[in-house]
Amino acid sequence: MMSATSMFGGASVGSLALDRSVFTAERAQTRSATNEDPIEARAITAVKAGDAGSYGYLVSKYTKRVVSIAWGIVRNAADAEDLAQEAFVKAYENIARFKSGEPFGPWIYRIVTNLGLDLIKHRKRFRHEEITDAAPAERRDRADLPAITNELAARIDRAIESLPEMQRIVARLYLVEQFGHTEIAAMTKLTEGTVRSHLSLARGKLKEKLADLHGGNND
Amino acid sequence: MIDDTFLEQLRNDARQLQYEPDDLMTTRIAARVRARVSEEAAGGIAQLLARWFRPVVVSLAALSLAAVVGVGWLELSPEPAPGLDAVSSSQTVDVSVGGDVFSVE
Repeated sequence: MMSATSMFGGASVGSLALDRSVFTAERAQTRSATNEDPIEARAITAVKAGDAGSYGYLVSKYTKRVVSIAWGIVRNAADAEDLAQEAFVKAYENIARFKSGEPFGPWIYRIVTNLGLDLIKHRKRFRHEEITDAAPAERRDRADLPAITNELAARIDRAIESLPEMQRIVARLYLVEQFGHTEIAAMTKLTEGTVRSHLSLARGKLKEKLADLHGGNND
Repeated sequence: MIDDTFLEQLRNDARQLQYEPDDLMTTRIAARVRARVSEEAAGGIAQLLARWFRPVVVSLAALSLAAVVGVGWLELSPEPAPGLDAVSSSQTVDVSVGGDVFSVE
């Protein structure tokens, strides 16, 4: 894992002392959802004050998760990369609106999710790609799939991908990305009730397909 | 209730499906974001300057145009219009007082 300093050249982040190796971005990412990362808080303050170089820390810290969320929605590595890039730029452009003291994560996750949903809508509208609820798994580029090494994961992946679009996205955010209902509602601009509804429908379909894996006797 | 054992077990197993971008991709994203952010920062200064200078330039241009049009109009006018003095000196006014009529210039 690269530190923010190495990825952004470390030229204008000196004021934050980001080159302290003890604070690698990945280590900081393991902290809790509330903004307990002092480096992150200071980076946000610095970026708000006009220090663009400090943004590197935030990019470094959240890139992997942001790409994973984007990939889960668009199922294409190139698009996921573009979405992640756009999300970070959009967040930077609107950093003045970001409330200091709050963690950056939920905000950037929300941005990338919305960009992903917009891309899907755009694809549908202009028919750049065949997307139907009946066979969503067919649209993915198999070369872009992560290396799913075991059969269990592969089956779960196929089952999630067979779901209708919003159920698929909500299920993926809940099951794969490990977000809670409230977080998913904020990210997708759906109500919490709608998120639960999508998840409940997805659960029923997944249970049919994966009953032999996890049983199915706990309605 | 959807937070049941089935879903929780599935959640545990599905965690491994998170997409892991390779170092090349993360480096590329960081580099592109850095470039775009630098552009934004430079653009921000340019926009700030533009915000201040544009109204000034527009105002000066409007004043210049008004001055040119005004001077041109004055130069094109053949003669100045007769003033009040000219009118009053060329005309006489008859005033009647007690049956007598006086002519006042």
